[in-house]
Amino acid sequence: MSAVASAKIVTPSVPGFVRRWFSKSRLAAFGFAAPLVVYLLLFYVSPLVQNVSMSLHRYTRRTFVTGDAPFTGLDVYREVLSSSEFWVTLGQTLVFVFASIVVQYALGLALAVFFNQSFRLSGFLRGIFLVPWLLPPMVSGTTWQWMMDADNGILNRFLGLFGVDPVWWLQADNSLWAVIIANIWLGIPFNLVILYSGLQNINGDLYEAASIDGCNGWQRFWRITFPLLRPVTLITLMLGFVYTLKTVDIIWLMTQGTGTSQTLATWAYALAFAKGSHMTIQYSEASVIGTILILVALAFAFVYLWAQRKEEEA
Amino acid sequence: MTFNNTRKVVAAISTLAICGSLAACGSSNSAADDKNLVFLDGYPQYDENSAWAKVVQKCAPEGYTVERQLQDETMNPLTTAVKEDNAPDIAMIDNPTLPSAVDAGMVVDLEAAGVKTDGFNEGIIDTGKVDGVQYGISYGINTLGLYYKPDILEKAGVDPASITDWDSLNAAIEKVVNAGYKGITFSGIATEEGVFQYLPWFWGAGGDLSKPDSQAAQDARDLLAGWVSKGWAPKSSTTNNQSAAWDVFMSEDYAFAENGSWQAQSATEKGYEVIAIPSKDGGNSAPVPFGGEFLVLPYHKTANDAKQKAAAEFVNCMTGENLLEVAESIGYLAPKDDVLEQQLKDQTYLADWAESASSAQGRTTELGLKYESISSGLSQKLQDALNQK
Repeated sequence: MSAVASAKIVTPSVPGFVRRWFSKSRLAAFGFAAPLVVYLLLFYVSPLVQNVSMSLHRYTRRTFVTGDAPFTGLDVYREVLSSSEFWVTLGQTLVFVFASIVVQYALGLALAVFFNQSFRLSGFLRGIFLVPWLLPPMVSGTTWQWMMDADNGILNRFLGLFGVDPVWWLQADNSLWAVIIANIWLGIPFNLVILYSGLQNINGDLYEAASIDGCNGWQRFWRITFPLLRPVTLITLMLGFVYTLKTVDIIWLMTQGTGTSQTLATWAYALAFAKGSHMTIQYSEASVIGTILILVALAFAFVYLWAQRKEEEA
Repeated sequence: MTFNNTRKVVAAISTLAICGSLAACGSSNSAADDKNLVFLDGYPQYDENSAWAKVVQKCAPEGYTVERQLQDETMNPLTTAVKEDNAPDIAMIDNPTLPSAVDAGMVVDLEAAGVKTDGFNEGIIDTGKVDGVQYGISYGINTLGLYYKPDILEKAGVDPASITDWDSLNAAIEKVVNAGYKGITFSGIATEEGVFQYLPWFWGAGGDLSKPDSQAAQDARDLLAGWVSKGWAPKSSTTNNQSAAWDVFMSEDYAFAENGSWQAQSATEKGYEVIAIPSKDGGNSAPVPFGGEFLVLPYHKTANDAKQKAAAEFVNCMTGENLLEVAESIGYLAPKDDVLEQQLKDQTYLADWAESASSAQGRTTELGLKYESISSGLSQKLQDALNQK
């Protein structure tokens, strides 16, 4: 038996593994994957490689045009990392990101639980909460800047009703908190929508059983809702982190990234396009910051994968 | 069988699509495009029915069409386009960015390309030179002045003629504020626009751009920051660009506004008037920066002499026989004295600006490329000062 079988394998002139490799179905599989692979190479890998390559060369406007930027290795990284501005900006970025996502998540979850009771008009009200998400950032950014105007802003007028002194929201020291407030408002709908759909997947029987066992609302939330929502929470926080880390528009529209509101993303934008107080274009420095941003996002993605695996094991 | 046929059809269609798109990309050098001049135009606010767009079309050389390529900001798109050898035939760039464009080899010598440079106001034509070579040419300039509302000044008992130096200006603002009105608006935004508005005060205190750490720089910052801290100027001055600062002036009870000649028409319609910005210690009014854009001819790696000649012809038309129409269409002051004379007869509201415009200073004339870093430094320090840091 075995002799016959081996004879059969030996007969063809082309070795078996080559034949299997080039089998029709495999070729077809490659054919179907090719457009995606080409797309990924063209629109994801190549900009990424270009960004890293830019950060390793000294690009000025001139060397960018002529294409003979000298290779500098990690020199630009060293320059950026040794400047105090980088570390201050990194700190501001982390405050911006974490303060934004923690509050966005907490408020988004509270609203999701609230709307999950599906009372009269809840659908309509839930729709209203999506408005910040639908508005173009140009509109919301300008509106926030206008509301936070120190002299005539509606926010200060409102606070004035309670006897609070007017706040200079967009002043250098306060501007980080001002943009965080606007960004939280902007991020709530996203958290609300995802967490709400997560809540809908929780089996209602569990709550029924829990109330028969005598659980109160608080216990139902902490013992059922929150643990069962964990996978959705993880992905919400993960996406929220990435979105917030790369936020430029709302900050730029409100303060041009001045004072404490400068984050790594707005700084990179200013350097890469000679915007704000940076009249000289600094491609390489911007690419270094861009690469660092990618690494930070990647690190967080690994944290997410690790948490997700732990979740699956549990 | 059906499956195979479907696959063949899909393959054929995708092949066609790829060829089609490649053909579209490759067509930029076809014969039809040889007769089409692309003009990188930084005025997207002017649509095809505007006076500006009409005069641009009118200047299309015989046998050519001109296509406006609209961008808010032209320097970055131009940089990429020159690198990719895909540059427009004519471009407009903000005047202080010219040294950077020259340094990067993005623009060509205008005179060598056939652009005429005679008949211009000498100070203005020189701002388009880098190392003695004419790379940029002006078709109109703007500058800054101090607008005021005569009715408010009258009610507050302030005589605008009394404002001759910083002390008398401060006294006037204080008087206006004490009379229950608001003081002054300006743009202190953390961009080149904020520096543009800061320069008359800097120069007016005797400042020199090659010494950005001088006492004059500090005095000018103290003056502007003082207005904000005293509440004479709005706190939003730190983020207002010039048009936002103008809106605040127009919509509220502000007596004064530092703003540009491009607002002259709307100011005149409201009955507002303008004086020159005073220098610190009086005497001559403060030097003001020259604002406006240059026309440039971008560099092409693959040269097309016939097209460049046509582009030069277009520029000659815009800055020559049609200069009056060009300048009037955008409310900029014509850079040729004889044309300006006619323009002031047509647009009388510009009359107050003629003198300051003719003596306006180029920001990069002395410093060239170094102006970029000096301006960035001034901008950051001004921003700190206005934020009372």
